Amino acid sequence: MNAQNGRKGEATVDFDFDFGSDPKALDLSGKIHQLPCTIKFDGPCPVSHYFKPKSTGIEVDGLNVEEAYFRGRKLQGATISLPEGYSGYVLGKKSLGKSKSSDQCDDSSPWQVKAKFDNITYWNHDTLPSQDDTFQRTFHWLTVAQALHKPVTAEDLASASAALNNLS
Amino acid sequence: MSLQDSLPKWASKPCVMGIDEAGRGPVLGPMVYGCLYCASSYLKELSSLNFADSKTLKEEKREELFEDLKANESIGWAVDVIDPRELSSKMLNKVKINLNEISHGSAMGLVTKVLSMGVLLTEVYVDTVGDPEKYRIKLSEKFPNIKFVVAKKADSLYPVVSGASIVAKVTRDRALREWALEETAENMHRNFGSGYPGDPTTKCWLEDHKHSVFGFPTLVRFSWGTCTSYFKDVVEVSWESDKVDEDGATGGSGKKQLRLSNVGITTSKRKSEEIESNAKGRCKFFQARKLEQLSRF
Repeated sequence: MNAQNGRKGEATVDFDFDFGSDPKALDLSGKIHQLPCTIKFDGPCPVSHYFKPKSTGIEVDGLNVEEAYFRGRKLQGATISLPEGYSGYVLGKKSLGKSKSSDQCDDSSPWQVKAKFDNITYWNHDTLPSQDDTFQRTFHWLTVAQALHKPVTAEDLASASAALNNLS
Repeated sequence: MSLQDSLPKWASKPCVMGIDEAGRGPVLGPMVYGCLYCASSYLKELSSLNFADSKTLKEEKREELFEDLKANESIGWAVDVIDPRELSSKMLNKVKINLNEISHGSAMGLVTKVLSMGVLLTEVYVDTVGDPEKYRIKLSEKFPNIKFVVAKKADSLYPVVSGASIVAKVTRDRALREWALEETAENMHRNFGSGYPGDPTTKCWLEDHKHSVFGFPTLVRFSWGTCTSYFKDVVEVSWESDKVDEDGATGGSGKKQLRLSNVGITTSKRKSEEIESNAKGRCKFFQARKLEQLSRF
């Protein structure tokens, strides 16, 4: 994809989407699943008729373990809330007209919020969920990023240089 | 596992038990292990009850015999119903458990259960499809105080095993008949047939309940080779755990089961980065968390 508008590698997302009269219809909390597989399919699917997560009553690392089956495999997962101050979004392209394969549409129109969610259920194949799961650990980045990007105050610099002096 | 409630007096005398299975071959529904036990002194009478290998009996006759043996106070019985979800998932686990291991586990579970009820088991007759001697040694090691007789076609050789086969078969048939389908999709029906892959009714049911994304309802044993033929035009699914599996396999270990990992997959192997992000080339912090930078999507 070659972005014609804006710099290369930059995507525009329009967050001012009108959720309409029924905001609940577009809140997908509790319906977002992260599976340990790739399904080579993109489109609507009767998920709730086939994918039936059940609570197991087991608790690991403070996570309530859920159980479900997909393609004969047993999945064990947990629903986790997104960290405070963060939301999950389902993005899509603004549909300008009906033509699906319009390149022009793909390139020029910004991404748009189609739905949002504030929790996500991630699933492991054949292992109990834990705080050590990669998916859980990705959230560490948020804390690190915050520390990295926090403006440095004069006091911070002073205490940092004092600490350095003490070391040497 | 359902068992009788109270322990009869004869159970503290030396007892004989038979174990048999029903529903090993079918592509759908549960597999059932059943056992039947009685005092050794009752064996002669048991032989006169006309239990025969359940497969040679008509369904009505089997049901009748099952009701008879339930009412018979000189006989005890128990069953273990193994859910098709359990069969599929164990056989498709990261560390795969094959059907024989599942079967042995179930049979040993029945022995343990009956022993823990206080029944004095001295002799146990077991039907098997696999190697009888290996299985006998495995059982004897686990239960050194019991004499095991393991034989192919034991269900037609020993009345106590014939009785167990009736318990298992009737339970399997009822379980399938009353199976509560988990899925709530429209137009589902219950004409399962026998569940055997060759049964035209079963074939029809499989065809009617195939789903491009989900494969089949969970009543079906996904780990059965039969499923592959139905999965030819189904959406491809690649598992992260299979990727690990393939890497491990290059190291040697030739003991790979049927390529279950590729059930329904006909195209070539995919590269790992298509399955999951790997943060190649980024610092360790990101690699450990599989955090890839994505600026275009």
